[in-house]
Amino acid sequence: MSSEVFTQLVDAHYAALYRFALSLAKRPADAGDLVQQTFFIWATKGHGLREAAKAKSWLFTTLYREFLHGRRRESRAMSLEDLPPGESDVAAEDVDRAARLDAAAVVAALQDVDEVFRAPLTLFYLEDLSYTEIAETLGVPIGTVMSRLSRGKAQLRAALEQEEAEAKSKVVPFRGAQGRKQT
Amino acid sequence: MSNDEAKFILGAYRANGRDADNPLFHDALAQAKKDPALGAWFARAQAHDAAIAARLREIEPPAGLRESILAGSRASRGTQPGWRFPAVWLALAASVAVVLAATFALWPNRAAAESARFATFALDDTAHGKHGGHGEAAGALQLLLSQPSTRLGAGLPVDFAALRATGCRTLNFAGHDVLEVCFQRNGAWFHCYIANCADFPAPRADAPPAFAQKAQFASASWVDATHRFVVVSDAGLDAVKQLL
Repeated sequence: MSSEVFTQLVDAHYAALYRFALSLAKRPADAGDLVQQTFFIWATKGHGLREAAKAKSWLFTTLYREFLHGRRRESRAMSLEDLPPGESDVAAEDVDRAARLDAAAVVAALQDVDEVFRAPLTLFYLEDLSYTEIAETLGVPIGTVMSRLSRGKAQLRAALEQEEAEAKSKVVPFRGAQGRKQT
Repeated sequence: MSNDEAKFILGAYRANGRDADNPLFHDALAQAKKDPALGAWFARAQAHDAAIAARLREIEPPAGLRESILAGSRASRGTQPGWRFPAVWLALAASVAVVLAATFALWPNRAAAESARFATFALDDTAHGKHGGHGEAAGALQLLLSQPSTRLGAGLPVDFAALRATGCRTLNFAGHDVLEVCFQRNGAWFHCYIANCADFPAPRADAPPAFAQKAQFASASWVDATHRFVVVSDAGLDAVKQLL
């Protein structure tokens, strides 16, 4: 792969990959490492793929796999069957809140969403991939993507409400007792 | 199809309209048009999704990340085995971590980034949006914008409500309406995005225009007493500057 083509590939996708990585890894330094590792793997293995659309899916899939490989297994793994159904109602106040909050608060709320929902939800909001491409990227059926989007959005709305309440209180909460889930 | 089923499907419909041609959504979209309650839910859901997506787009990768990736690529080509030595990669990663830590501390504040966010929104829409839907009032503005003698930065006669009411393409940015008018000048297409100053924190009306570039698209942003503007084109930054 020529230097020019590789640069175009980086320019086209590294920002979205970073946003996806940040939602997963939470720390900017870890997110940057994930993006670098993804392009490193591309440079060593993925250069046979020539179609731009496939390259995009390949990069997101590889980043997600690298994240899954790298993170520690959690002791309190939650099965999907244990999770409550998503609440699909969107109140006008939810819309206003999303418009009021800044990017940092939205990312913080997104990071509060359970990991199993966070990956499809972030890919959905990045708006680069269709639901079928999200399913391919995450290796799950299309119906599962839709279900996780529904539940993830409900969690996100609750997390946004909490973010705003915390911002209004101007009091640093004791997160160990009532704060965010440790994912 | 029940409304709950329609909601389930429409929950995967992207707010930027890129799924408009996907047949999976056709029935659910048609039902949302016919059923007022479902339609209202869908409008709120789309506004919510658009606001979240816009906020997510505001997250900029740290300065230095792109350069580190490209430097790694060059190192790969020059000394291919070096990529396989963990020490080399760890050194690269460590240097990036330092850059990341430094740049993250300089995260721009919300007010300063507002113009850039609006410009990015316009650049992305030009790249991916489905343009069209200009009404009568937009046609008049389009004609004015197409005139070589019209200096966009000198003031434009914008009646936001009339443009919106007569079919001008309307988008949602951070929960507020943004109008878009396409026009052609010297054979090149330009896309002018207009928002109400009252909807967003804006720089002073006498602030100089700001310019940005993303992929092949260039933009110019400016404000007047009542409106914020971004014009985007793939004709190059010079062509965009000449409009002002």
